Parts: sequence; C-alpha cells; structure tokens
Amino acid sequence: MIEIFTEPLKYEFIQRALIASIAIGVSCGLIGTYIMLRRMSLIGDALAHSVLPGVVIAFIVSGKSEIALFIGALIAGVVSSVLISFVQRNSKIKEDTSIGIIFTGAFALGILLVSQLKQVHIDLSSYLFGDVLGVSNGDIILSGIITLLIILSVILFYKQLLVTSFDPVMAKIIGISTGAVHYFLMTLLSMSIVSGLQSVGVILIIAMLITPPATAFLLTDKLKNLLIISSLTGVISAIAGLYFSYYFNWTSGASIVLVAVFFFALAFLFSPKEGIVMKYLKRLRTQKINSSEDVVRLVYKFGEIKSANELKNILVAETGISSVKVNGILTELIKKGCVVRTNGHIELTEKGKEMAVKLIRSHRLWETYITEKNIVDEENIHEDAHKYEHLLNEDLVEELDKELGHPEKDPHGSPIPKKK
Amino acid sequence: MDVIKVKNLTVTYNRKPAIKGINLNIQNGRIIGIIGPNGAGKSTLIKGILGFLPVDTGEVKVFGENVNQVLKKISYIPQKEQFDWDFPINVYDVVVMGRYPYLSLFGHPTQKDKKIVIDALEKVEMLKYKDTQIRNLSGGQQQRIFLARALAQESEIYFMDEPFVGVDAKTEKSIFEIIKELKESGKTILIVHHDLSRIKEYFDEVILINQTLIAYGNTEKVFTKENIEKTYGGQLTILQKANQLL
Repeated sequence: MIEIFTEPLKYEFIQRALIASIAIGVSCGLIGTYIMLRRMSLIGDALAHSVLPGVVIAFIVSGKSEIALFIGALIAGVVSSVLISFVQRNSKIKEDTSIGIIFTGAFALGILLVSQLKQVHIDLSSYLFGDVLGVSNGDIILSGIITLLIILSVILFYKQLLVTSFDPVMAKIIGISTGAVHYFLMTLLSMSIVSGLQSVGVILIIAMLITPPATAFLLTDKLKNLLIISSLTGVISAIAGLYFSYYFNWTSGASIVLVAVFFFALAFLFSPKEGIVMKYLKRLRTQKINSSEDVVRLVYKFGEIKSANELKNILVAETGISSVKVNGILTELIKKGCVVRTNGHIELTEKGKEMAVKLIRSHRLWETYITEKNIVDEENIHEDAHKYEHLLNEDLVEELDKELGHPEKDPHGSPIPKKK
Repeated sequence: MDVIKVKNLTVTYNRKPAIKGINLNIQNGRIIGIIGPNGAGKSTLIKGILGFLPVDTGEVKVFGENVNQVLKKISYIPQKEQFDWDFPINVYDVVVMGRYPYLSLFGHPTQKDKKIVIDALEKVEMLKYKDTQIRNLSGGQQQRIFLARALAQESEIYFMDEPFVGVDAKTEKSIFEIIKELKESGKTILIVHHDLSRIKEYFDEVILINQTLIAYGNTEKVFTKENIEKTYGGQLTILQKANQLL
C-alpha cells in the first residue's frame, strides 16, 4: 500500500514536481484567498493569461532562463493590471469589460509571438496545460522563493490586507494606500501564477487561485483558518493530482485541478454548516422532532376525550402529515414511554405529560415574546417563530420567562404553565 | 471650538457637479443631521470633507488643518450595504481595527489596545458577541459594532451614513443614547438622515442640502416648512408632510 506513495518518489523529476506542487498549493492558496474576498477572481484569470507575452519575450531575449521567465511574467502581469485600471479610470468602460479587453489582447499577443518567432522553441502546450515532467531545479528554487515571499507578505501585512479587503474607507482613514495594496497584491498574484506555470499551466492556474479558497470558505468563517485550510487544500490537490498524473498518464494540470474541484464538491455537499446535504439532513431532523412534538401536544389535548381512531384523524388533520407517518411517530413515542394505548384510547404517560407541559410553556412564552417585542423588521424571526417554539433548551426558556417578567397568560389569554 | 470649516466646496462625481459652493462652520459637541432627498449629494459632502473625492474648488479644514493630517481623529460608519457580511471576520476583529491607526506598520495590538476594544464592546452591549461572525448579527447589532469600532478609535468626529436604516425602534433608541453621550463628552457627530421624522428630537443642528446648501444652523430655526420645501424642491410627498406634522 505504502509503495503507491513511495514508488514514484524514486524519480528525481517526481521529487521536483512534488516540491513544485507544494509551492503552488501554498502560494495560490494564500493569494487566492484575498483574490476571492476582494471579488477579483476575474482579474486573477486575466493575469494568468496576460503573463504569456512576458514569458515569450523573456525566452527570445535570454533563452531558457528561469529568472528571465520570472521577470518577464511579472512585468507582463503588473503592466496588464495597471492597464486594466487605466482604461477603467479614464473612460466609462467598467472594470469587467476592461479586464476582458486587456487579457485577451495580451494573450493573443503571446500566441502571435510564439507562432511567428519560429527560432524560439517554446512548447506552447506545456505552458497552456502544464507539464510536470518539465519542472527543473531552477523552477523549484524560483517557486520556493516566491512561496516564502508570499507567506512572509501575508504574515507581515496581515493588517493592511485585512482592512483594505474588508473596509477600504477605514483603510484610507488609517492612512493605508488602497492603491498601493492593490498593486502589491497584483505583484504577488503575478508571482504565484509564475510559480504554478510549469506544473499547472496558464489556463488552469486560475483554478488553483479560486477553488481551494472557495472550498475553505465553506468550511470556516475565520480569516486565519481560511488561509490555512485554503493552502492545505491546494497542497493536497496538487500532490494528489500529481500522483494521478503519474499513474494514469493524465495531463498534470488537468488532474490537479479536477482533484481541487472534487474537494470543492465535497465541501459544497457535506460542509457541516454550509453543505447542502447537511442542511437537508438537519431540516429533516428538525421536521421529525417538530412533528413528534406536535403529536404530543395534540394527544395531551384530545387523548382522554377522543377515541383512538378519532384522535388519529385529528392528528392527521392538524399536523398535515400522512396517517402512516402519524402511526410511525405514535409507535416511536410508545417505545420511548411517552404514550400508552389503554382500552380504545391513546394517552400520555406521566413522562409524556411532562413533555407536553414543557412544550406548551415554551410555545406560549415564545408567542408572548414575539407579540410583546413587536418584532416587525426582523422578518426572519417572525417567519421562524414556530421554529423557536420547539427550542426546549431549558436555560433559554427560563431566560425568556425572566425577560418577559414571568407572565401568567399568553396574548390569547391562555394560561402559561409554570416550571415544575 | 471650530471643528470643521468648509469654504466654497464644489465636488464633481461621475462627471456631474454633485455639490456646489458649500460653506459650513461646524462646532464641536453637537449632533448634526445632513438632510436632503436622494441624489442631493449627502454622501458626496461627507466624502468631500474627508478628502476621498477630488475637490474642484474650495477648501476644507478640520481642526484648522488639512483633513489628511487629522484623519485618524475621524470615524466614518458607512451604510450597511457597503459591507460584505459574509467576510470571514468576527466582532472583536472588526472593533480592533479601530486601534489600527495607533499601530506601527507591522505592529500588533497591545494589552492596552485590547482593553480599549473590550471596553468599547461593553459600552455598546456587544461583548458577549465578540466571537460571533458578523453575518449572524441583527441589523442593530451590526450597527453597534461599527459604533464600537469608532469608540475604540477614540475619534473626535463621527460621520454616520444612515445609521437607523433597518434597525428596530428599541435599538435605534439605544444607539442614539450612545451618540448623545459622545456629544456630551464634546465629540462632533454628523449623521446622514433621509427621512424627516424625529429630526427636531435628534439633531441640534441640521444641514439641508440639495446640491447647494439650502440652510444650515440650529434645528429649531432652520428646519422650517419653507426650507424643507426648498430642499425637496416641492417633491415633498404626502407621507413626508404627515411625518412632519407628527
């Protein structure tokens, strides 16, 4: 089993690819978090494309030098981001349109340069889609330096990045130049793109900037955790993608990105707070508890005076659930010892009655609260009033009772049972 | 004490003059309402005073200095829509930003800063929510944490943009109590307010604006039917007239 993981490590190119993967995971995960929070995903995409002419020109000038490539890409990235802002500020063209013009233009220029300059042998497809086999020692050193620089920047400028992302007006008041932070971030973004260029490629690097942060965003609402989870997801996606690429001979960039998307899908479905499956299960659970509590209340009210069959009809009519389900709930309540069947009647046991009184108390207190506090503008509370009634957390109900000044009756004049 | 002096201020916004030739001379220890219809340039006036928008003509002095020199003494509480409430940040971290003006480039909040933040949270009765993500607060609570941030900043001037929108009556009252305390300790509070109710109750002075300054001064003297009609250019709706009578 362990060989699956160790076997590829025999090869030096895999070792290099692995280090490069960790570097992209961390650098893109960190920068991507800020790109996402500042709603600049589109700019990320744009810059990834616009570095192409820089890379090609660097090749023409210097041959295959990693440093030249880095500088070329960086200049192209920063120039593009300046141009995007320049067009937007000096005309009525909005930012998204400006981004669209600049990045396709730059990308087209890159493609033209590659196709026209035959004497430069650039394997275009490896730049577009990544070629993990081609990661050189120079690439690794470069990616390592970039990653360290990004980690250091995120730690040192935590305050500045936070306040400019969350509240630019506050940033101005503090005296932080939002423009300077923007271009600083654009520079780091161009760098992180360069670090992933060789293994993931220009087209897909944007996925490493967006998908891991988005995944992390579904799992936490603290910025520090977001940065950490985002980097970890990026690293794990990159490493897993690399292994798939090795064993199945898949394109490295595509397999890395698909693993990242797979993690996003998992978070989207199963995140404890945000996952849609978890939300659905929670709703089902709440519905079940609510129906069961409604049944207890109705049995309390009608159990002794109506026959078992009449009671069942009332239960179906009042709760709006099917008679099969009503029977199911009754059976469960009997098992729990809350309900008993006695000669033609269905009645509550002592335990069941205690529960019913608690329910009625909670229900009437909540009704009083909602009426008294006149909660009008906070629509949700009003809508969810019935939900609150089922909160039987005793501390909360007692706090409610205390805040209302231990009322005797609810707004309809019905007595509110006292706590036992 | 003169806090804000505005001389002949004209600001262009989106290539149209948004406010023209505004003159103000604002003293400390007052609550001042900035009143006018939609698009009258209320927010532009604030941004112009703060130096966030390029000024065409005119001059702004705050505490006798250029506004850039004294920004740290000013708090601006924007409208709720300005924020991304899903942002991964909790109440404490929002309020601690109020201490950022006092920190060095790479500096962290000290024990003293933390104490100021805790005190500010206590003052607005939000301490028990300090670890809550801001999406999970009610409208009034969201407003209070930005007030707490301003308190932590120990500002002299407070600009508030529509602080009472989407806030229930009880919260509005409690927020106003805090504002009144600020005033009593000599601070200056400018509040953009779009409806005409409670103006006499809330504001010591009003700035009636509709691109140009219609009137500025003591609420009792300036907030007259004539001036209101001038400000709203006869657009005063029946509802607004009714509110005025109440």
